[in-house]
Amino acid sequence: MSKDYKDNLPITPRAFMEEFMRLKRGSVTRRHFLGVTGLGVATGVMSGFPGTFSKSAYAADLGTRMSIATWPNYHDPATFENFTAATGVAVDVNVFGSNEEMLAKLQAGASGWSLFVPTNYTISTYHKLDLIEELDLSKLPNFSSATENPRFTKEGQIGGKTYAVPKNWGTTGFSVNTSKIKTKLTSWKDFFEIIQTEADGRGMVHDYQLTTIGSALVSLGLDFNSIKPEDLAKAEELLIKVKPHLFAINSDYQPSMRSTDAWITMCWTNDGDQMNRDMPEIAYVLGKDGGEIWTDYYAIPKDAPNKAAGYALLNFLMDPKVAVKEHIANGAPTTDSRVMSLLPPEVTADKIVYPDEAALTPLEFGAAVTLTDPGRAELMARFKSA
Amino acid sequence: MPLKPQTRHKLVTALLLGPAGLWLFFFLVLPFIAILVFSVGKRGPVGGYAPAFTFEQFANLGTRAAAFVNTLELAPVGAFSCLLVAYPVAYYLAVKVNPQRRLLLLSLVVAPFWTSLLMRTYAWMYLLGGRGIPHLLELVGIENVRLINTPGAVLLGIVYGYLPLMIMPIYVSLEKLDRKLLEASYDLGAKPIGTFFRVTLPLSLPGVMTGFALVTILLLGEYLIPQLLGGGKVFFIGNALVDLFLQSRNWPFGSAIAVTLVAVVVVILTIAMRLTWRIAGTRKVDLV
Amino acid sequence: MRALVTAVYLFLYAPIALVVLFSFNAGRSAVQFTGFSADWYGKALSNVLLMDALKNSLLIAATSAILAVVFGTMAAMGLERLGARMRALFDGLLAAAIVVPGVVIGIATLVALVQLFDVLNPLLAGLWPGQEAPKLQLGYGSIIAAHGLFTMALVTMIVKARIASLGRDIVEASSDLYASPLTTFREIVLPQILPAVLAGFLLAFTFSFDDFIIAFFVAGSKTTLPIYIFASIRRGVTPEINAVATMVLGASLLMILIARFLMREKTTR
Repeated sequence: MSKDYKDNLPITPRAFMEEFMRLKRGSVTRRHFLGVTGLGVATGVMSGFPGTFSKSAYAADLGTRMSIATWPNYHDPATFENFTAATGVAVDVNVFGSNEEMLAKLQAGASGWSLFVPTNYTISTYHKLDLIEELDLSKLPNFSSATENPRFTKEGQIGGKTYAVPKNWGTTGFSVNTSKIKTKLTSWKDFFEIIQTEADGRGMVHDYQLTTIGSALVSLGLDFNSIKPEDLAKAEELLIKVKPHLFAINSDYQPSMRSTDAWITMCWTNDGDQMNRDMPEIAYVLGKDGGEIWTDYYAIPKDAPNKAAGYALLNFLMDPKVAVKEHIANGAPTTDSRVMSLLPPEVTADKIVYPDEAALTPLEFGAAVTLTDPGRAELMARFKSA
Repeated sequence: MPLKPQTRHKLVTALLLGPAGLWLFFFLVLPFIAILVFSVGKRGPVGGYAPAFTFEQFANLGTRAAAFVNTLELAPVGAFSCLLVAYPVAYYLAVKVNPQRRLLLLSLVVAPFWTSLLMRTYAWMYLLGGRGIPHLLELVGIENVRLINTPGAVLLGIVYGYLPLMIMPIYVSLEKLDRKLLEASYDLGAKPIGTFFRVTLPLSLPGVMTGFALVTILLLGEYLIPQLLGGGKVFFIGNALVDLFLQSRNWPFGSAIAVTLVAVVVVILTIAMRLTWRIAGTRKVDLV
Repeated sequence: MRALVTAVYLFLYAPIALVVLFSFNAGRSAVQFTGFSADWYGKALSNVLLMDALKNSLLIAATSAILAVVFGTMAAMGLERLGARMRALFDGLLAAAIVVPGVVIGIATLVALVQLFDVLNPLLAGLWPGQEAPKLQLGYGSIIAAHGLFTMALVTMIVKARIASLGRDIVEASSDLYASPLTTFREIVLPQILPAVLAGFLLAFTFSFDDFIIAFFVAGSKTTLPIYIFASIRRGVTPEINAVATMVLGASLLMILIARFLMREKTTR
């Protein structure tokens, strides 16, 4: 702790003094003061590793619990345990299957989350609906925009303001159990064919309009993000034809793949890597006809009940030392070159995690309009209820 | 100041019924009015609700026809399967078991209710999944059997979850059965099978009807069992509703479906009530 | 017949046995048994979020069941005193509260409360004298209200049936003897309807404690035990959840035993 305290203060000295005077006059509580000045967070950050500060010193400022909304199999459970050990804040992890579901919960009010993980194409909508707040980067000293790859990070900024910072990027392909399915598969066209034939009753698609409808569109040679009624009608025809052959419509497919109840599934990078690591016969394939490339972000809801803890956890997750452990555990590629340089070579050479540029070329980022398009939502509902 | 007896009577009545009345008004009548209003509204541009007066939501009900058909099929089928399993148990408990053991066995039927239905359904997910029964079958040479995420799995979950609700009313009606009637029937030379169909079964019908109606109605709103054991493929109205509110955020359409579902429940209940009255020959039978 | 009934009991208890078995698993998985250990009980008890969920569920179930029993019993007695038309209306509403599917109750309550709060919160903020006005939001209150609706109707039905079988003579005889209505209630009516009231309480408590779908909609940021379990099923159950489920089962079986013991005491005396 040799540095001058000013280096770590996430607020200008002048604003700090103003807040300090307000505190002295008694018009703000101590809690508010610590929250606004970020002192509570700063102390947590400065400690660097657990134990240097006594827990009670900042437990009072961060509360004792917070809740995060994220995706299945997306974190190293140890990350949250370490955060709890360092701050005394227990983290409740809520898992979601689609961005629509997250949005619906947040729109209904009182979600209770202090941090959540939306995907790139949804951020503009959250901003428009005034559901997320502009991030106070001074409370996130571990975040470094200079080392972020702009290809993956631009959608977090709107009008020059930062509303979300990237967690990691990834792709949506499919995982296939090669000991059960012998045919070699290379495209979404193959995917939809095989689940009606060799993998009858063993294929899974996401319970998620973007990837399920998008991949169906791609397999028909259409645009992943299309909302044209005539395109959607074709995708619907395919999906409804495929449905009786499916094992399940579920975004949490790892348990079924691991128990070999399911043999093939739409799959995100991190899940594909996790399954391949434990069961090498489960291969991960990117469609050569297209598919999704994505970035997930961290954002803080406007009505977050414990913003201080939300910022503290976010800052903790942005620490390259933590991020690299997360990366190794969950297998999702990083957007941050600081993390990249800390990774062991076997991870950076992993073609599931870091595919060749040529494999990425046909992929597309999701488009904002798909999130709220009623046509896609209704198609998904008709597909599920068919 | 002494109150007139009549005023006093009214006051006490109001005091007794006030809290329940207010509760019913605020948490039943008001919410129902709210979904009625929503059901004639429009979906907002980014989801949610936009005020309007249109019946287009009801005109759209056809798009969920499959969910309605599924539910209206599986609810009675589920209730009937439940009945097939429940009746012998209820009969055995009420007629065959001696009274001392009866209470214990009856408590054992109810006790599963004390563990979370979610946990029990999760246990079924395991038993029906690849590491459970199919794995055992593989050991004896039967390969690639798939049980989980089938309509059969959902049916099993339904029978499992609702069995106690079916056993109880049948047991109650069988227990009241006068043994002298059975003896009289035997004395008159009737065979046991004949006695069962001519005497026992008709007398237990009110209980059967109550159980059947209860389970059917509860099944109309079922969400969890199809979700967890059906793999998102077996779709009930309950699942359609949850999706409309929590995924596609089409509140007006969801409200229209909810209103329709309530209407369906009322119709089914009325029919069941009439039927029971006719069978029991009295109006003194309450289904709920 | 005996074999069939035994099979049904096995069917009922096989999954429960599985839940209990995996609560003693040494490994992290709730699906692969790797050895015997009671560690998960300690972990469950020290998991603040799980314990919060359990506490919330107990609090909500107890509050809604007590309110349901008090208001439901009052309503059952008040119904007797109503005119035919009002009584039919009340009966209809109570029946509706029971038969309307839980998923609809959850949705309708959510829709109504969100609208209501949108109107009331700005008003409250405007009228509030202090700096920060309290904000109405979904939480304990909304879950208790939605659970209480169903269970209160249930209690009313059960107690009403009991009162109907009581006969009015005894009550009238008591008032003829110049007993005050309160004394009549305490000395005559209450002992008679007590079994029904207790049954109603147990049902109400159990329903609320195990309900997922209504709470799923109206819980706001509060987590009940079923909501926590549902989330765990989605992200991979650990034996921790099995341990809690087993403890809940054990506690309730103990309660049933105590209740039966007390009842036996009473009858033998």
